Amino acid sequence: MTNSKSEAKAPAKQKMTTWEKNQLFWGWLFIIPTMLGLIILNLYPIVDTIYQSMCKTGDFGKGNIFVGFENFSRMFGDSEVWQALLNTIKYAIIEVPFSICFALVLAVLLNRKMVGRSAYRAIFFLPMIVAPAAVAMVWRWLYNSQFGLLNNLFGLKVEWISNPKIAWISIAIIGVWSILGYNIVLFISGLQEIPHDYYEAADIDGASGVQAFFNITIPLLSPTIFFVLITRVIGALQVFDLIYMVMDQSNKALPKVESLVYLFYRESFDFGDKGYGSTIVVLLLIVILIVTVFQMIGQKKWVHYE
Amino acid sequence: MKKRLISALLVSAMCLSLTACGGSGGSSDGGSSDGGGSSSGALRVAIWDNNQQPGIQEICDLFTEETGIDVQVEVKEWDSYWTLLEAGASGGDMPDVFWMHANNSQIYMNNDMLLKLDDYIDKSDKIDMDKYLPQVTALYTYDGSYYAIPKDYDTIALWYNKTMFDDAGLEYPNENWTWDDLYDTALKLTDKDAKKYGYALNVTNDQDSYWNIIYSKGGYVLSDDHKSSGYDDPKTLEAMDFVGKLLSDVCPPASVMAETQTDVLFQSGTVAMITQGSWMVPAFKQNEYTAENCDVAMIPYDKETGVRASICNGLGWAAAASTKRADDCWKLIEWLGSEEMQIKQAELGVTMSAYEGTSDAWASNTDLFNLAAHLDMAEESKVDGVENKVVEYPFTYNAVKWTSQCQKDLVAAWDDPSLMEEKCKEFAGTMNDIIASESK
Repeated sequence: MTNSKSEAKAPAKQKMTTWEKNQLFWGWLFIIPTMLGLIILNLYPIVDTIYQSMCKTGDFGKGNIFVGFENFSRMFGDSEVWQALLNTIKYAIIEVPFSICFALVLAVLLNRKMVGRSAYRAIFFLPMIVAPAAVAMVWRWLYNSQFGLLNNLFGLKVEWISNPKIAWISIAIIGVWSILGYNIVLFISGLQEIPHDYYEAADIDGASGVQAFFNITIPLLSPTIFFVLITRVIGALQVFDLIYMVMDQSNKALPKVESLVYLFYRESFDFGDKGYGSTIVVLLLIVILIVTVFQMIGQKKWVHYE
Repeated sequence: MKKRLISALLVSAMCLSLTACGGSGGSSDGGSSDGGGSSSGALRVAIWDNNQQPGIQEICDLFTEETGIDVQVEVKEWDSYWTLLEAGASGGDMPDVFWMHANNSQIYMNNDMLLKLDDYIDKSDKIDMDKYLPQVTALYTYDGSYYAIPKDYDTIALWYNKTMFDDAGLEYPNENWTWDDLYDTALKLTDKDAKKYGYALNVTNDQDSYWNIIYSKGGYVLSDDHKSSGYDDPKTLEAMDFVGKLLSDVCPPASVMAETQTDVLFQSGTVAMITQGSWMVPAFKQNEYTAENCDVAMIPYDKETGVRASICNGLGWAAAASTKRADDCWKLIEWLGSEEMQIKQAELGVTMSAYEGTSDAWASNTDLFNLAAHLDMAEESKVDGVENKVVEYPFTYNAVKWTSQCQKDLVAAWDDPSLMEEKCKEFAGTMNDIIASESK
């Protein structure tokens, strides 16, 4: 089957040897499960979402009517969407740099030989294995302005999640806290790739620890940093669960915190308007594509591949 | 050659086992019942109220004993319940038997998502639709057909904290209270510095809070033909103005109520009074604090109109139209709707049952609270110039859409009640647009 297909595609080619045929057959066989998964679970939904964004969708997915760019023109006039885009970007601006910087410093510290290293690593990684909903519930209580631990412990009267001016920062702090462990693990594995000779040489030349960090660690770790940056930016732009779990619908700070995915969820599942919801995620998709393209271009300036 | 044959065999065996896994996984998700026999897996039942779970489970266990059909009760939180049910309806994988709510029943019935029960009811000797509260039956009747068997009904009453009243030396609320009495007393109980408040209004649940005030003061939420909004009606605006007064003078700040649910504030002794639905009785019964310190009185009436209003809603037991075990589903629904089990549900204190003549059973499920306050409300009567008005839950084709929109649009008004009139009028327009754009 596979052979005849490939022959039809490339008739000009010489007849393949048995070895080549074997290669082709087994090659396809091994990637087909993954490809099927990708097509069914990722590619098809993406295409369908883009199609739905141009539809007035019917209830229960029945009777979609193609309306062209009607949803998009509605979205361009919807100030809430732009506010949500701004909120999403603000969230990412806090979450990404802080989670990377803290994780980097902590990873360097945790990479040294010290007592209780594994214990510390486990502690920092712990938030990663807790369900996001549980994390959000715990923080919701910590932040509670009346009964919350934060306010009671420090005698404050701060409305952490109800004051529109600070609520988005409070949410971003949860984001940083919960992703820290994941970044640390990646950085530690990156650090262990760096040959120790460089540090010894630097030590002999009289470089301080800080100098070594900036001149050896960061450049040599830059591929890992770049990977973390790309994935974290995408992850941060897709923030949803924290906001959904921590903020009540009647929270007055919600308009200043709600993200694009939050809006998508509300439109699609609360209001049952899948078409408009899809339009909002298509916008998010475009934003993520643009940001990622710029990052790929920018990496040439600062990422050192050995 | 031999080697290759073996490897090919191995691969095909692997592929087969993979598809076999997928196949069996799919069928167990899809109701696990291709055989249709009573012993092939459990019926999936979905509900959204944790407080009612033990009672419902008990009734379902009795069903299993009687018929041998296993039942698995799953509890989902209100929001995710509807998300999952909708996703299940779109993807053809709904639970077999589940609760329906007036907010959503129209859209589900309209799209043939629910099993039509007419033939089953005709044949059944246990179910007689005339025996149920007509307000509830009406919610699940569409085009003259029945799509759910009424499970319960609910009324709203005024819950209060006896200890806080005693401490302030005030008389407990009673059935002669007007809304002004509530306001005056709540004002005396409010000490904002000590973080004690007279009243809390659950703004995220229209049914147990401000809707009752609107109808009591002569306003309306939705016109009788279910076509236009009443949020800009002068009487409604008057009522909402009173709601604003309550919010600014005797309630915790809106942000506090957004962070901590009002029933939690009540259960922790922070607020002295809340209006709550009868479905909260199991929760208040279980909570040691409320069991000891709290009681319930009838919801106040309005002095001018003489109307005491309570929104009355009721849930129904429905089955998925797509279920493969329609007969088993009906057996369960019939069981849940039968007089015997409706009485059982009331006795267990799960909720007030929709079946007629079950109120005594419910009233005696606990002597901690004066449950007559909830029951008396359901009787439309006029005593001493005060008219009890049971208001059918306002619904349209897709009521979720405008009730959710309302929660979103009025947030500014909860926070700053001086914006109440403006926001309500604005919302009335939005609501009319939404209703007009509803698919049907």
